[in-house]
Amino acid sequence: MPVRKTISKSLILYEIRNVLGNPYIWIFGVGFPIFFMFLMPTAVTRGMTDASIIRMVTTSLFLSIGALIPMANMLMGYGISCAQEMEKGVPQRLELFGISRKMTLCNRAISEGIFFVLSFLLYGLIGMLGLKLEAPAAIGVMYYAVCMLLFGIICFAMGHGIACLLRKFSLTYCVMMILYFGFMVCSGMMGISYEDMPKAMKAVANLIPVTYITKDFYTVWTGKSYNFMPMIQSYLFLGAVAGIVLFAGMKRK
Amino acid sequence: MDTILELEQLSVKYGKETALTIGQPIRILEGDRIGVIGSNGAGKSTLIKSVLGLVPYEGTIKTTLQPWQIATHMQFNEYTTNMPVKYIMEGILDTRIAKNEHLQELIRYFEFEECLKKRYHHLSGGQKQRLTIIMVMMQNAPLTFYDEVTSGLDFETRQRLVEKLLSWYRDKDGAVLMVSHYYEELQQFADKLLILDQGHVLDFGKKKDLFDKYCGNAVLVVDHTPENARLLSEYPKLISPAHLLSISCENAQKEAEIVKLLIEHDVNYKRSNEDIEMIYVNAKAAYEAQKEEEKNARA
Repeated sequence: MPVRKTISKSLILYEIRNVLGNPYIWIFGVGFPIFFMFLMPTAVTRGMTDASIIRMVTTSLFLSIGALIPMANMLMGYGISCAQEMEKGVPQRLELFGISRKMTLCNRAISEGIFFVLSFLLYGLIGMLGLKLEAPAAIGVMYYAVCMLLFGIICFAMGHGIACLLRKFSLTYCVMMILYFGFMVCSGMMGISYEDMPKAMKAVANLIPVTYITKDFYTVWTGKSYNFMPMIQSYLFLGAVAGIVLFAGMKRK
Repeated sequence: MDTILELEQLSVKYGKETALTIGQPIRILEGDRIGVIGSNGAGKSTLIKSVLGLVPYEGTIKTTLQPWQIATHMQFNEYTTNMPVKYIMEGILDTRIAKNEHLQELIRYFEFEECLKKRYHHLSGGQKQRLTIIMVMMQNAPLTFYDEVTSGLDFETRQRLVEKLLSWYRDKDGAVLMVSHYYEELQQFADKLLILDQGHVLDFGKKKDLFDKYCGNAVLVVDHTPENARLLSEYPKLISPAHLLSISCENAQKEAEIVKLLIEHDVNYKRSNEDIEMIYVNAKAAYEAQKEEEKNARA
């Protein structure tokens, strides 16, 4: 039997089918953001008359709801599915067929990345067609894409690490839900805006990149000057946490 | 015949409990068909897991094969339920069914065509086993493990599956090690036996040699009735289930004598010179007797 390449077309196809068959990703990563993209602006802008303010609020909500996609796809959807497979012994079964965990991780990362980009494009396309959005500056779109991509990578690392550490579907599902809704609450997506948060909650919110996407990204999107330093610090912090969790998870025997 | 795998002074522990101990070397040769028998907790699956490096062990496992070069059907085999099994097969085997004649042949051979579009959790027990067997056979490995490949299947499905396995491996060179609780399957499949009990190796060798060692040249089995017990009282008996009497025949002459006696008295009997259950029961009894002797000697 020949040695398999770390990354192969057949394994990427296998993993893409695995992602497409994961219901959590469709519900939380595709359905929810699109649903909220229409629901939230309608609810928030009810009673507003100034078209420019409505456009600004809608754009701001469109950008912040977009951050649900990396959280739902890469953190929750992938993490839960990964833990479910580990609990059943699927990765071990694949190893016996010569597909190492490293191979699975690499091919899964690529396929998750492809699906992540496609779901973002779908979200963007529907948003552009269905909502009245502020026209972005090219640099603003680029910053948004980079920020989402980096946040997606952090979420993937964290999702994989947590799944490897817990290895149980129920436990991982619980932790992922706490993180998913925790991120949403702390970033101001669930009704309490950053300005209204208590001091301790603000301190936590400052450490999460989504907070800056929710409260500030309209400025970046429209090409106005913006101090990226706090946001970069939050990325570094969450990235370090994800790295430690991933390392600990992969070291666990 | 080349040695494919050699196990020596092997010890596997789960916590403080020793799950398997192998003292004398066990060599698996090219073309071997080995049946592994023993009751639950004997160490059968642990043996396979240690060879595959899935459990930590002490001792020596000599082989030139990497774990992934050993084809393995585990007791429990699970796959993703997110796609039809057709794509699981293609992804794992790195091939396309439409372009792979060998795979098509195996799918036809195991009558698996109609299952290809189903998801794993929608397959029956027998279909799940066949899926793994097809992929294991596609590996065409020099060493293959089957761990309770027919457990949980009804009699008819089990028979069909074993017949398929038998005819498939008839002209294959690779060694096959099959763990099973169904001795009649191993009766057909195995030419050697590895007998385990509570983590210890009771014996390992050719089926016929082990039969000769523990049961004699042949065994005649009759119902255990008072009349039969009286009739056969002077002949050596083997350990057997309470409702049966098993008479050991040390040679053909003795066997002819007992058979004549049984016919004269119109007693129905069964003859065997390779009954695995008989080998196992008597090997276990011999091992326990030896242990008892050693214990008494120490005392």
